[in-house]
Amino acid sequence: MTGLGIVSPLGPDSDSNRIALQTGKDAVCPVTTFDVSKTRCKTAAPVPDDWLDAVLPVGRTSHRLHRGSKMVTLALREACCSADSPNPELMVIGTTTGGMSFGETYYRHLLVSKSRRQIAQLAANYMPQKPILDGQQLNGLRMPSQIVANACSSGSNAIGHGFDLVRSGLHHCVIAGGYDPLCELVFVGFDSLQISTAERIRPFDKSRTGLVLGEGAAFLILESEESAAKRGVTAFAEVAGYGVSIDTYHLTQPHPSGIGARLAMERALESAWMEPGEIDYINGHGTATIFNDATEGVAISELFGRVPVSSTKSMMGHALGAAGAIEAAFCILALRQQFLPPNINFVESDAIWKFEVVANSAKVAPVRNVLSNSFGFGGTNASIILKSV
Amino acid sequence: MKFFVQGIGAVTPLGPTTKETWKALCAGERAAVRSMPNRLSDRSYSYFPVPLKFVSEAARQPRVRRSGVISLLGAVAGFDALADAGLKAGSSAAKRIAVIFAICSGGVNYTRRFYHDIVVGGANTASPLLFPETVYNAPASHVAALLGVNEQSYTLVGDSSVGLSAIHFATQILSMQPAFDRCLVVGTEEAEWLVADAFGSWRMAAKRDEFEVFGQATGTIFGEAAGAVVIGHEGDLQITHTLPGQSFFSIRDSQAVTRDLLVKVAAGNQPDFIISSANGTFADDVERLAFNDLFEANSVYAPKTAIGETLGASAVIGVVLASLVLRHQELPGTLSAGKKLPTINRTTRSCVASSALVSAVGFNQQVNALTLRR
Repeated sequence: MTGLGIVSPLGPDSDSNRIALQTGKDAVCPVTTFDVSKTRCKTAAPVPDDWLDAVLPVGRTSHRLHRGSKMVTLALREACCSADSPNPELMVIGTTTGGMSFGETYYRHLLVSKSRRQIAQLAANYMPQKPILDGQQLNGLRMPSQIVANACSSGSNAIGHGFDLVRSGLHHCVIAGGYDPLCELVFVGFDSLQISTAERIRPFDKSRTGLVLGEGAAFLILESEESAAKRGVTAFAEVAGYGVSIDTYHLTQPHPSGIGARLAMERALESAWMEPGEIDYINGHGTATIFNDATEGVAISELFGRVPVSSTKSMMGHALGAAGAIEAAFCILALRQQFLPPNINFVESDAIWKFEVVANSAKVAPVRNVLSNSFGFGGTNASIILKSV
Repeated sequence: MKFFVQGIGAVTPLGPTTKETWKALCAGERAAVRSMPNRLSDRSYSYFPVPLKFVSEAARQPRVRRSGVISLLGAVAGFDALADAGLKAGSSAAKRIAVIFAICSGGVNYTRRFYHDIVVGGANTASPLLFPETVYNAPASHVAALLGVNEQSYTLVGDSSVGLSAIHFATQILSMQPAFDRCLVVGTEEAEWLVADAFGSWRMAAKRDEFEVFGQATGTIFGEAAGAVVIGHEGDLQITHTLPGQSFFSIRDSQAVTRDLLVKVAAGNQPDFIISSANGTFADDVERLAFNDLFEANSVYAPKTAIGETLGASAVIGVVLASLVLRHQELPGTLSAGKKLPTINRTTRSCVASSALVSAVGFNQQVNALTLRR
């Protein structure tokens, strides 16, 4: 992994995200961009607009560019700069909502107006591939893109697939990651399922009450050793393993045994040629919903026993298709700076779990190998293992 | 490593399986056009629907009883392809299959209904039954459950070229993961007035009940459908070249990008025929210029005037049709073919064909192509 770019509610670049992780920043705040008067949950973790506006030169604005396009452009720019102008052949990107908020605006416009002016550009910029193409164009890049929409595991699936492509020799250099902007439809969707919370998000807490949503984008430049050596660049970290499973028990609920999560983690360990005892830290999917944390907690406890675990969603909410990519990026920051990111808002663990929650404050610790989990609707489960170099 | 099409499946406005669809296309039939009203105004849009009876058996499965038409269509085409490959759902062979879905608009009918409730009734009236079906990978999850697959499933999203990207993705999975013998690739699309309205706002929806390809670009008519292919390491229809696709940033740019991509995928070979993605929009001219330049003597078949622009399903259906031409040595005639492309095949005829090119110029900045050899 020779390059990294992140835009999240915790910061507009890697350094600011690292500082936020080390200080346990809480980016969750009241929602102001759409009406939440009739929802139970009224908070989310947005990326501030002024960070995104930096995507265009001073004095220029573009209504055509979706928030997702701006996030992609910024994160892609940082990733390519930090990799010292790589030569990527392909983008593998995860997302779930794409430019959905433009679709919302389009529909609201149809409800209240007969005018067709302006709405064509909403339709043209709504598709999930559009922010990727905007990001390429604004950064002077052009390459094919494979856009994975495996719900909340999309980002990890994209990184895992990109890793497999490079490890197998099918590609020398791939940009992998994910993006997802907040939107009203998805916010209300989670609220309607009663899995978002009116309280603080408390992953892996015995008294957890649900998730809050976040947004952002993160990209990793995945490059073969030969390609990096040829360009004279050094790796930040190594993607070591990828495991995936599907659990078709229910469209929105994992199998209560945690078998889907367990299989993904076991397969990631097998792919990395590692034993569970070699993992120093797990960045859990940890959505703070009753079902996810229960099944993930059981699977982690059975497979790893007493390992440090945190969910960084406690600080920035659940960024859906971007979550796996952002959390992989957080794991890389932890590997580089040798710390464990905290699980803020934590009060009490469930007695049946054996793992140790990194409660409320970051910890300095030796970190060699980390595992990051992402599980999604439709029963898609993905785990990736990253190691220090 | 070699990859082959082992099974093909389709449900289209012309038939519940590939067999009926193929028979109708060769007979020069055009699917019935219906009118789809805009629920918010007096506008309406023409479309090619799949008759409900084509999916009624799939809809009896408990897993999909609340799911959208997009999932039902995907299931019907998927099972058709598995049967064609001689595979049974739940068998040990089926368990070594990865499921890859190609999606364009997704479950847009449920998505529109869900959002309508939010806007009109307030967020507290939004249905928790609809929301999960709005997620792009819901059809893939349902089909994996029905097939008894529990290893890997991926949903790829994009424009009308996404089916070929999904087939390329499947070849990547089969190259890298020996645990899989086969991939089932399904492209599926349901009809929804909101999508037609969006294309109308873009001036890409036809205002009449038919449209022409390689003639006047008067816009397209949408169709609902699903296509499926089983891809494995042996068989008699080899996928000789696939690519992940390419992006273009403007219509002018699309012509150079498409030409470069077709040069790459054809690799110096002249296919015996081409399955075109022409749909009565700018895509026709993009393909025409590239075909005239690179394949000036090769017969072209454009199926969309018979079944409609089926977006997420269309490129996979292109591969299904290319496979059928190679199997039956018969090339259907293109309905409503304009005069701009001299090599367009206008009437059904027998042919001696051993190689095919499937082209997909997407409406939203993506293009792809694939070659097959018998």
